Amino acid sequence: MKRPLEILAEEKSMRTIVSLTSAFESLSSMKMAQTKNKVLISNEFFSEVWNIYKQIRMDVMFNFGRQVDEKPIEKELMILITAQGGLSGDIDQRLIRKFREHYDAEKNDIIVIGHHGALQLDQAKIKYNLYFDMPKKDTVNVDVLMNEIKRYRRSRVFYQSYVSLSQQVIKSLDLSEVVSSMGKIADLDTLDEEKITERTYIFEPNAFAVASHLETSILRLTLAQFIYDSRLAQLASRFKSMTAAKERSLETANELHTQYSRAKRALVDVRLKESLAGLKKIRGSN
Amino acid sequence: MVERQVASTGEFVEVPDKQVEDLQGKGHKGPTMQVKVYAPFKVYYEGEAYSVTAVNESGPFDILPKHRNFLCMLLPCDLVVETPAVTQTIKVSRALMHVKADKVTVFVDV
Repeated sequence: MKRPLEILAEEKSMRTIVSLTSAFESLSSMKMAQTKNKVLISNEFFSEVWNIYKQIRMDVMFNFGRQVDEKPIEKELMILITAQGGLSGDIDQRLIRKFREHYDAEKNDIIVIGHHGALQLDQAKIKYNLYFDMPKKDTVNVDVLMNEIKRYRRSRVFYQSYVSLSQQVIKSLDLSEVVSSMGKIADLDTLDEEKITERTYIFEPNAFAVASHLETSILRLTLAQFIYDSRLAQLASRFKSMTAAKERSLETANELHTQYSRAKRALVDVRLKESLAGLKKIRGSN
Repeated sequence: MVERQVASTGEFVEVPDKQVEDLQGKGHKGPTMQVKVYAPFKVYYEGEAYSVTAVNESGPFDILPKHRNFLCMLLPCDLVVETPAVTQTIKVSRALMHVKADKVTVFVDV
């Protein structure tokens, strides 16, 4: 049996872990509230741009803003959006698992965003073509990513989506399908608003240039939206794992405290027994 | 003292008194339109305005109330919004302007 002082030291270090996990939990909660608020604000912006795009769409063949004579690489580009650091629970592991279900080294190239995802790929001995840090600031510059996407025939994004505080799901979406599905809504004449055509609008410099620019913009915004959603999901996952870690460490600390009380009591009992035995001996000799 | 916000840096800078006086001296009383200039995480201006000035491929242009439906890509420029209170200047590097039914929306960073 451990000595009471040893158990007390263990309890003390466990209490430190409780404080640390509690601090991380509060930090995640605060950051999550800020991020959630920003995502809500940005959604209004995105939906308004989407709405214009839906009205201006001329066909449903989305081509990533490529020129007609540009020949794309006949591979599917896989973009993995993961957390920058650890302490995000199992969300990145789940994403990598889902990615591996689709991955074929011959048919796919990989771009990974976030250091934690890159580490996971290294551990799985999967080579990636490009790596980017997960953006920290609000403004996300996805231009470099866009240039890469344009080079490929197809692109698929694996990202983490926030459903609720307790639920974050891994999504895998084909980029061209996401964008063209919005165009199809316009084709079905389900829009209440007037369509944007050369008869109803003045375009500057011209309708084709604006539509082409908007196509690129919509891709840029879609990617940015995936990154914001992933960021929120990662924070929620971190909050969830920190809450679980705090509860576990608190339970262990309480358990250690009980063990300490028992050990202390046992020590007192032993001493009492020894004193009584000594007393008996003295009385017996008299 | 009147301040304006620089879109690229988010900083507030003082508008010279003369500029404010000039604007007030103009005594705008004409019709207004609804203007919103915003990026995904930031609203630079939202409210009534007499005019919006920007630059596109053809050069500088103004949007006044009762303008026809208009969709345009802006070039990097100082977007000027003349509001009843003050002239607001917002630096934009990439933007899309949409005008419809006396409502001007400028999507910054699009």
